[in-house]
Amino acid sequence: MDSTTVLILLTLFFAFYMAWNIGANDVSNAMGTSVGSGALKMWQAVALAAILEFCGAFFFGSYVSETMQTGIINPEYFASEPLTLVYGMISALIAAGVWLQIATFFGWPVSTTHAIVGALIGFGAVVGGAEAIHWSHIGLISFSWVLSPLGGGVMAFLIFTWVRNLIFHAEHPLEAAIRLTPWLTFFTVAVLTGIVLCKGLRGVEMAPHEVIFWCLIAGGLMALTCRAYAHRIRPNRSLHTTAPPIDPRLKVSLEKARQHLMKALDVSSDEFLRDRLDWMIEEIEQVNGPVVQRPESETAREFEVVERIFGYLQVITACFMAFVHGANDVANAVGPAAAAIDILFTGNVSSSGILPYWMLLLGGGGIVIGLATWGWRVMYTIGHKITSLTPSRGFSAEFGTATAVAIASALGMPISTTHTLVGAVLGVGLARGIGSINLIVLKDIVISWFVTIPAGAGIAVCCFYLVQTLFG
Amino acid sequence: MLKLGNLFGRSPVAPLQHHLAKVSECVSLLRPLFEAVKVRDEKRVVELIQEISKAEYAADLMKKDLRAKLPRSLFLSIDRNTILDILSLQDSIADQAEDVAVLTSFRLIEMSPAVEPLFADFFNKNLNTFRLVEKVISELDELLEASFIGVEAEHVGKLIHAVEKEEYETDLAQAALLRQLYKESDQLPYASFYHWQQTIRALSGISNLSEKLAHQMRSTLEL
Repeated sequence: MDSTTVLILLTLFFAFYMAWNIGANDVSNAMGTSVGSGALKMWQAVALAAILEFCGAFFFGSYVSETMQTGIINPEYFASEPLTLVYGMISALIAAGVWLQIATFFGWPVSTTHAIVGALIGFGAVVGGAEAIHWSHIGLISFSWVLSPLGGGVMAFLIFTWVRNLIFHAEHPLEAAIRLTPWLTFFTVAVLTGIVLCKGLRGVEMAPHEVIFWCLIAGGLMALTCRAYAHRIRPNRSLHTTAPPIDPRLKVSLEKARQHLMKALDVSSDEFLRDRLDWMIEEIEQVNGPVVQRPESETAREFEVVERIFGYLQVITACFMAFVHGANDVANAVGPAAAAIDILFTGNVSSSGILPYWMLLLGGGGIVIGLATWGWRVMYTIGHKITSLTPSRGFSAEFGTATAVAIASALGMPISTTHTLVGAVLGVGLARGIGSINLIVLKDIVISWFVTIPAGAGIAVCCFYLVQTLFG
Repeated sequence: MLKLGNLFGRSPVAPLQHHLAKVSECVSLLRPLFEAVKVRDEKRVVELIQEISKAEYAADLMKKDLRAKLPRSLFLSIDRNTILDILSLQDSIADQAEDVAVLTSFRLIEMSPAVEPLFADFFNKNLNTFRLVEKVISELDELLEASFIGVEAEHVGKLIHAVEKEEYETDLAQAALLRQLYKESDQLPYASFYHWQQTIRALSGISNLSEKLAHQMRSTLEL
């Protein structure tokens, strides 16, 4: 086997590995919110995520992938020695993968997008020098990293304030919900479809009036199904059967067990152990029953039905989230790989990156397999921790996130979906939608900006010299 | 990977409601206590005072625990200081109930036939004010869901108004009771008279603090 074939196989392998990583870790943040709120069951979320991530990657992923392929490192610079660029791209993929593994092992927060961009910058700047990199693009990308959580937050805030004033402020929230959610559906679907279609999908060119036409059709259809769904939801009388009274001695023992578990939680430092202890404490609390036993008020029942109606909207936005997430993140795996493969096939460098469709298939497939083998487990863990994100809140946060990520994907900007979602959740929290939000997560995000880039860059440079020695 | 699960903290509502349930235990024990005082069952009085003290201590521990779990890094839908004030007031009610209980241990009050119905009225109204504010706090879940506006907020506003009204009635009942006591003051030994004053003041603390608690709740609403 000659070295070119080996290099091709290596590139494809590491591209697949990156895609697998994305499916295993990132997708759960996109769909997990719907599982947590109860809008979707686990298997429904996994199935929907698999289909939509793949479609997003395949049909909408080319713009961001092209940025990763030729928008960061200037291929012309390496025209005289194209193999160096190949080694660089492979080392970037390896570096990003290695850094992700290290960070996951230590429980540090890290974004796939930041890792790969950092690795590319590292290789380009150190090996190629300052002219090898499109610094203006780097500036734009960094700007989009800050702007996407902010934008997502603002949009989520606006949408939730709208929901708040239209439905929760109304005389009869349930009636208002039944009357207004079809319009909300129309708006959501039309706007998101518009953003996704505005540049046309892969292989399908669309004129502006065609885009508007399809937006209205999609919006209208989903609005009609929402109306049918909303009318069929009735308050479930038997939803809250009072639990059988518990033996007082049992209550006391369970309370003692709970306190011991709380002590154990204070003492333990291992992440997975803490998760399981948290879970056990919640299970005990559920069995023991709430201390404040009071009859379900009329308002509580009404709000419950409102939330169930919003579950429909949340599923729609979750689907869009999975779609645009696939589009934005597949580039992390496929972009650099496509640049390398291009050179390995043709022998020289081309600055107009035409992304071969089979690479998007590889990327999309990797994400789905990552989700199916590992990602569903992460979704399961997240799901039970996000119960305070009820469907009305989840819908608002997801709408903000999906819009921001969709716009970024259409513009070819690689951003972090998770950070955008955090921004959106904060936006909803600012509108008093969420009980309590841990702001320490913001520290994690900022660390991600300032630590991941140098780390990815450093490892990429080391990998480059390693690969060059092996193959040069 | 950024763990989305870490983004959400524990909602402050449930711990507040649990704490109030403990305080409610303290206050509820006052009724059997005064029944025991009426029939002059000293053993039962001592028992009940101990139970009230235990419940108050437990409420104290819950309060400390809740305060420890409210770091400044948590972004809450209810202002952090308001939560701490609500907690403080709830705890003061438990303290007040304990004070009333301890007072009964000093002297078993004697009630003349004229005083008895007035005292019963005053006592009931105090406990009623507390019950009404309990209802307000129990609506916190729905308030959070409605994000503190709309019909739910108006409903809670009405409940708060009911607390204010009941507190006013309690004040009237207190005045009536005191008026009768002053009328009988020549027949009462000084120690009894003074003990009555202390007991009435301590009991009225429960309705006053309940009203303050209701006012704190009003500040969370966007009406």
